Amino acid sequence: MGSEVIMNATHRALNGFGLGARAGDTRLVSEPRAWLRAQVQGGPPLLAAPAEASPAAIAEALHAFRAVGQAAGQQDQQQARQQARRRLVQIAAAESHAALAQRVTSDRPFVERLVAFWSNHLCVSTGAKVLVAPLAGSYERDAIRPHVLGRFEDMVLASARHPAMLVYLDNFQSIGPNSRGGQFSGRGSRGQKRGLNENYARELLELHTLGVDGGYTQQDVQELAKILTGWTVAGLVRGAPQVTAQRGHKPNGRTGTTPATADPDRNGPIGFTFQTLLHEPGTKTVLGVKYGDDGEEEGERVIRALCRHPSTSRFVATKLVTHFVGDQPPAAAVDRIARVFRDTHGDLRVVSLALVDLDDAWSEGARKFRTPQDWLVATLRAFNATDVSEAVLPLLRQLRHPLWSPQSPKGFGDTTQEWADPDSLLNRAELARTIARRLRVQRVDPRGLVDLVEIPSGDPLRGFLADNSIPADERVALALAGPAFQWR
Amino acid sequence: MNRRTFVRNMCLGGIATFGFPVVNFAQVKQGGRFVFVLLRGGFDGLAAVVPFGDPSYRSLRGAFAFGESELAELNDTFGLAPGLAPMRELWQQNELVVLHAMAIPYRTRSHFDGQAILETGIDRPVGSSDGWLNRLLQVMPGERSGIAIASGMPRSLTGSFNVQTWSPTQLGAVSDAYLDRLSSLYRTDKVLYGRFEAAVQQQDLVGEEPMAGGNARRGGITPLMRATAKILRQDGGPNIAAVEFSGWDTHANQGMAGGALDRLLGQLAEGLMALRTDMGPAWSNTTVVVMTEFGRTARPNGTRGTDHGTAGAGFVIGPKVARSIVFSDWPGLGDRALFEGRDLKPTLDTRAVLKGAIAAAFDLTPAQADRVFPGSTAVRGTYEMMS
Repeated sequence: MGSEVIMNATHRALNGFGLGARAGDTRLVSEPRAWLRAQVQGGPPLLAAPAEASPAAIAEALHAFRAVGQAAGQQDQQQARQQARRRLVQIAAAESHAALAQRVTSDRPFVERLVAFWSNHLCVSTGAKVLVAPLAGSYERDAIRPHVLGRFEDMVLASARHPAMLVYLDNFQSIGPNSRGGQFSGRGSRGQKRGLNENYARELLELHTLGVDGGYTQQDVQELAKILTGWTVAGLVRGAPQVTAQRGHKPNGRTGTTPATADPDRNGPIGFTFQTLLHEPGTKTVLGVKYGDDGEEEGERVIRALCRHPSTSRFVATKLVTHFVGDQPPAAAVDRIARVFRDTHGDLRVVSLALVDLDDAWSEGARKFRTPQDWLVATLRAFNATDVSEAVLPLLRQLRHPLWSPQSPKGFGDTTQEWADPDSLLNRAELARTIARRLRVQRVDPRGLVDLVEIPSGDPLRGFLADNSIPADERVALALAGPAFQWR
Repeated sequence: MNRRTFVRNMCLGGIATFGFPVVNFAQVKQGGRFVFVLLRGGFDGLAAVVPFGDPSYRSLRGAFAFGESELAELNDTFGLAPGLAPMRELWQQNELVVLHAMAIPYRTRSHFDGQAILETGIDRPVGSSDGWLNRLLQVMPGERSGIAIASGMPRSLTGSFNVQTWSPTQLGAVSDAYLDRLSSLYRTDKVLYGRFEAAVQQQDLVGEEPMAGGNARRGGITPLMRATAKILRQDGGPNIAAVEFSGWDTHANQGMAGGALDRLLGQLAEGLMALRTDMGPAWSNTTVVVMTEFGRTARPNGTRGTDHGTAGAGFVIGPKVARSIVFSDWPGLGDRALFEGRDLKPTLDTRAVLKGAIAAAFDLTPAQADRVFPGSTAVRGTYEMMS
């Protein structure tokens, strides 16, 4: 069996549950399960927005982008548009940088892994619409992170109300056909017909809660979409009935009427709003349950009900066990996590502790191929990086795994099959060489890398790392690119 | 020892698992080759395959209208744009089906949704759906494999069937000694070993010429097409390749002959012809399909470009084409004929064309092709257009 990579409990905790061992970690973590349990006590670490991504900066950049988009198309307009677009992408870059730095430097890496997991489960994608780009970092920070040790349904509700999700899956443009807004609206500026948009409702059922075989029908999708009409984004909504006059306070203190040419929301802060005008009236039925005319409350009730559905606990448990145990999740482990999830109404702290308690997670067969983000974060942690250089973001693109940009609402894949293709292994080999060359100045001792991952006895890596005839930077690269480091 | 000798020595050294994915050698090797070329961004079918014979064409396209003499005429109605002139050779050799008024089976003007529909091959956006090329690999018989020629795994190839990827090296070249040592490390990992060896082998096969990374604007697509040919033409090489080119979202300054779009078309034509040449004898078994997520508006916009539209054009290329034709139920360009008053009206489902093309490429029955595109209907003539 010498050829198998077998991790002991310390390595499982540091790499499988955490985000990669740092130099010296293996000595510090003597009680692996207790180390993990301690990490999920108390609230998750909350983060402040990077300066470039303050709510005001995001709103300003989005408004600027919308403004050039709407102006009559002229030659120099193209340039202005590109410039506005660049600002949106720059906010996304600042956010990516901050999120990555948090993963690399965190002392509670298990919690950070959970943040990344849930952020991908309820993913948004900056690749789909550029409007999502400046919002994705805020989405993970404000909608996902605060709830990773809280209730699943609170996380899904926060996701449903976050502008990033509302834009990504089009709910912000969904209009109840029989709502007052629906009666007014004709066609959009590009000729598209306005009305009900089922996109978010469908993915909420298929990917966020019940799962594709969770037992819902197309009729349920439509009814759910109707319930969620009116859930939109203040500061972005288009096509809401225009207001011709707006009450406001004049600087001298007199209340007066100021003429306004556009929706008053249009240039305000970006955030969730429920617009009764766009909400489909009448009773809707989802999964056999009737939801009477109750405005925003209908959506809140139906989302909580979906999160408590038995199919949801099974679907979510399968994904969690796949993430922490292996590509073929053992049925008993899935049953166990599903039961805990259901019994606690999705208390994610208890669910996370139950994952630590799974014997399957500590068995010899438990291992996962590191995704590119995992691999790069583990690489930087291996060198005890205290900060992350801007130069790391292009590397994630090179590895086909930039933050918040999956190809579909299903999110990035989580199995060996999806990431360990031949070209990607070679990609890592080349990238490891580049990283090691850049690190040369810091005089990293390659032998220090031996402790970070479990290296089987038959693996020639130990021999290479001790071989002074091989340049030191190449030895570092061999450790990072070799098979032992590809698993967690 | 250079990389090439290294690889050959490895083969002679009798290392058995030298391929990816691991295949069952009892199966017969699938000989067909199929290349799916995705033009990302929405390519302007009316500017590429020009309906000069339509009575409304000139007034509709205005300053954008080509004169008949500028075009490579296909029949009384259609001609290829000047940039596509090299493809006339395919037409003359009965290797070109030109598709028109074709669209995905879902009305959207979003790149994201449009590409998702084209790549999953189903009729609505479903977040969890696999790509149709992956389903094709699952359905077709024989020993087979697929490869993505792209800097990321395209949606079309994602799914449960293992596929390879290849992209031009973007970082500095690494030394043979380093790869040699890495190979000896990977030999101890039975899951990853075959994959790593396959990558080294493939890299060696294609060589290390600098290449454009799939963006047609930078340096053309010919080097990428040549690399594709090198990979596909091997005995037992991949049967299915997904190639993609971006840069077709021409909202401004499309230009006329020699203009921005025409240069892109020129690069496309040159790349397709290079693929044909470099496939050598294997071309006789090769089918190429060129498609895009949507066509563009019938009328030019205010920035001398076109906006996101509906139906557009595409191509099926190769010796398995029965004869060169324009395959289209042409809806016309009159005001009433346009879709929502602005776009070429869709009269042909991309999936019907794809079913005909894959059936011919891999000897599939219509029932098998239907499993690749579940829920799609048949269109008269799409099987007959192939031999």
